[in-house]
Amino acid sequence: MIVFKSFLRVLNKNKAPVILFTVMLVIFGVINFTSNDSTDVFTSSRPDVLIVNKDVNEGITKTFIDYISKRAEIIKLSDNESIDDALFYRNVNYVIYIPLGFRDDIINGNKPSLEVKSTGDYQASLAQMMVNKFLRVVNVYSGDFNDEWQLINYVNSTFSNETNVEITSKLDVDSLSRMATYFNFMNYTMLAGLVFVISIVMTSFKNVNISKRTTMGSMSYRRVNMYLLLSNLVFALVFWLVCMILSFVLLGDILFSLHGVMYIVNSFIFTIVSLTIALLIGNLISNKNAVNGIVNLIALGSSFLCGAFVPVEFMPKSVVNLSRVFPSYYYINSNELIKSMEVVNFESLLPVFKNIIFMLAFVVLFVILINVVSWKKRRFA
Amino acid sequence: MFIHNFKYSLKTLFKDKILIFWTFMFPIILGTLFSLAFSNIEDSEKLKVIDIAVVDNGNVVFKNVFDSLSDEDSDDRLFNVRYVSEEEAIKLLESEKITGYVLAQVKPKVVVSNNGINETVLKYVVDEIIEYQSIVSNFLASSMHEIRLEDIQMSEFVLDIYSEVSKKMNEEVNIHDISSENLSYTMIEFYTLIAMTCLYGGIFAVVSINNTLANMSFKGARVSVSPTSKKIVILSRLLASYVIQLLGLVILFLFTIFVLDVDYGNDLSLVVLTSLVGSLAGLSLGVFVSSIFKSSENTKTSILIAFTMAGCFLSGMMGITMKYVVDSKAPILNKINPAAMITDAFYSLYYFTTRDRFWFNIISLVIFSVILIVVSIFSLRRQRYDSI
Repeated sequence: MIVFKSFLRVLNKNKAPVILFTVMLVIFGVINFTSNDSTDVFTSSRPDVLIVNKDVNEGITKTFIDYISKRAEIIKLSDNESIDDALFYRNVNYVIYIPLGFRDDIINGNKPSLEVKSTGDYQASLAQMMVNKFLRVVNVYSGDFNDEWQLINYVNSTFSNETNVEITSKLDVDSLSRMATYFNFMNYTMLAGLVFVISIVMTSFKNVNISKRTTMGSMSYRRVNMYLLLSNLVFALVFWLVCMILSFVLLGDILFSLHGVMYIVNSFIFTIVSLTIALLIGNLISNKNAVNGIVNLIALGSSFLCGAFVPVEFMPKSVVNLSRVFPSYYYINSNELIKSMEVVNFESLLPVFKNIIFMLAFVVLFVILINVVSWKKRRFA
Repeated sequence: MFIHNFKYSLKTLFKDKILIFWTFMFPIILGTLFSLAFSNIEDSEKLKVIDIAVVDNGNVVFKNVFDSLSDEDSDDRLFNVRYVSEEEAIKLLESEKITGYVLAQVKPKVVVSNNGINETVLKYVVDEIIEYQSIVSNFLASSMHEIRLEDIQMSEFVLDIYSEVSKKMNEEVNIHDISSENLSYTMIEFYTLIAMTCLYGGIFAVVSINNTLANMSFKGARVSVSPTSKKIVILSRLLASYVIQLLGLVILFLFTIFVLDVDYGNDLSLVVLTSLVGSLAGLSLGVFVSSIFKSSENTKTSILIAFTMAGCFLSGMMGITMKYVVDSKAPILNKINPAAMITDAFYSLYYFTTRDRFWFNIISLVIFSVILIVVSIFSLRRQRYDSI
């Protein structure tokens, strides 16, 4: 008990960073909260488009603006600098400048021209397809029909037919990916939290004066170490539980589904991996000032490389391959697998089990290393 | 005396390994991680060739359209198409080999597994085929009253219209793309990294000042009783801090430019100016923190780091959209945030052709530094102790 008490005392002194890691997890969970509910009806993606109209807002020009507004989110900004800013930060994907005389050109059978600014991503490509399509259809009609009213009628009737689209998947993609994002970010929180606390505590016990006093005390070295290990284990479990409670608060009922249970199991296994990593590092270092640097190196490094912050599908192949040497890769890989699982059964879970075995192998490896390191340190100290 | 002090300040600062890790190594490690994680993100946001299947039932129109959009030699290639039976298409969709499949029939139908961009593109293309039919029938209807039916061969007439329409539909449209070439938003990450390094440099100033304050350290007490003027001691130490800070920045710049391929725009002299002024802001922040707060060196460093990280968070280090949100929703916050001023200065050098916004940021940084230094001078001068 006395060991556990001093563990708590050290923890209490250094609580600020631990709280910070947890708050970051919550912020991350909340930010991803904004996406809307998914339905089983197909909804087209709508790029963010900004229209700067220098022409009159009537006739065929108005038809064009209505056509875009129906298929895209219209963003309204006035001055040039904020338009450029919005484009750079991808708040707008596509800017359309309608020049003066756009309407007249079409009515007179001339090819109208447009200036655009584009981010070049897929949303912008979609907007480009829309604009292209409209101009093409108008070009086809405008040569033969000079009457604007008739032209507008024809253009509208052409665009009124839409394809029938059927969706097969019944997966609740939005909440599943929200869960995956939360649990992926937990990779950082777990590693940073556990490595920080455990290293700080272990280095505090290693302080020359304190370790001398401990050796002199009536409690045997073995017992002190065992209690220390137990306290670390308890802390890891409590920290995991806090993260789970937060996930219930943030994500809600969906955690009670089979998918949710798999996420929870997976994160529990990873907690054990993080615990052994933390113990290994706590054994290796003896300088308290170095703890912060090492925490950042390990937690940030493996989180970035294994896709805890940026989804793996957006990362270069070589980095993803390299990241296989970290246990985090297997944890995050499982999260991604569970996300896209249509049915949860033994067969579909096989790759997840494989990842769990890999993680447990890391646990064994780290435990062996911890023993080797602490044996050597004691022997050669 | 100035030179002597300067030399020894350099030596002591360089020997502090933890300090050097945070100001020299940490930005480089973080930059490498950024570059590994973000290097592909913009490419992966571009539209790629989409795998689809067509259940064609011998429909020629569909085959023509999808074949031309799947042409491997074309730059506008949109699809990788396979023609299969319906059972096969369902299997392909289930195993996620394709985005969706098209049932080519009189009323065509698209089957997909989820909502998404690729699915929308597929729908747009099939829409186009339907629109095509609508155009032809509109032309047919309008031509009917002009021609007496018995004069012509009906099918030939339809074919004529068809070829006329498709010729016009394939004509190029006049769209001029006038967007800037420098649109790579991940650059902001690296700009915030430079901003972080500039402000982190303030730690050197914290340590230097703390070592001259009699009430903060034994070293400070000893320095205070020495016959050297306080002005010289402080100035020489701050100059040493500034020099080390700049050295760290030079290393970081070389690393980001030559290894990570970061683009700072074309005006090198202005990049240098931004770094000089940015570091000055970091230095004055350090002086301010160490002279105003009466607490241990560790606490002062923590305050500086916390301030820097909060500033970097607001200027987009942990998510680039954050900068845009703050800039547009609460602009005042980033107008007084030195990390945002530095980031924004680099951003305007990279993205804008005009320089107004750049100079605004530089002047803001100078004002920020001057205010902090003046306040610190008032706090530092005339400190005397009878005993301590």
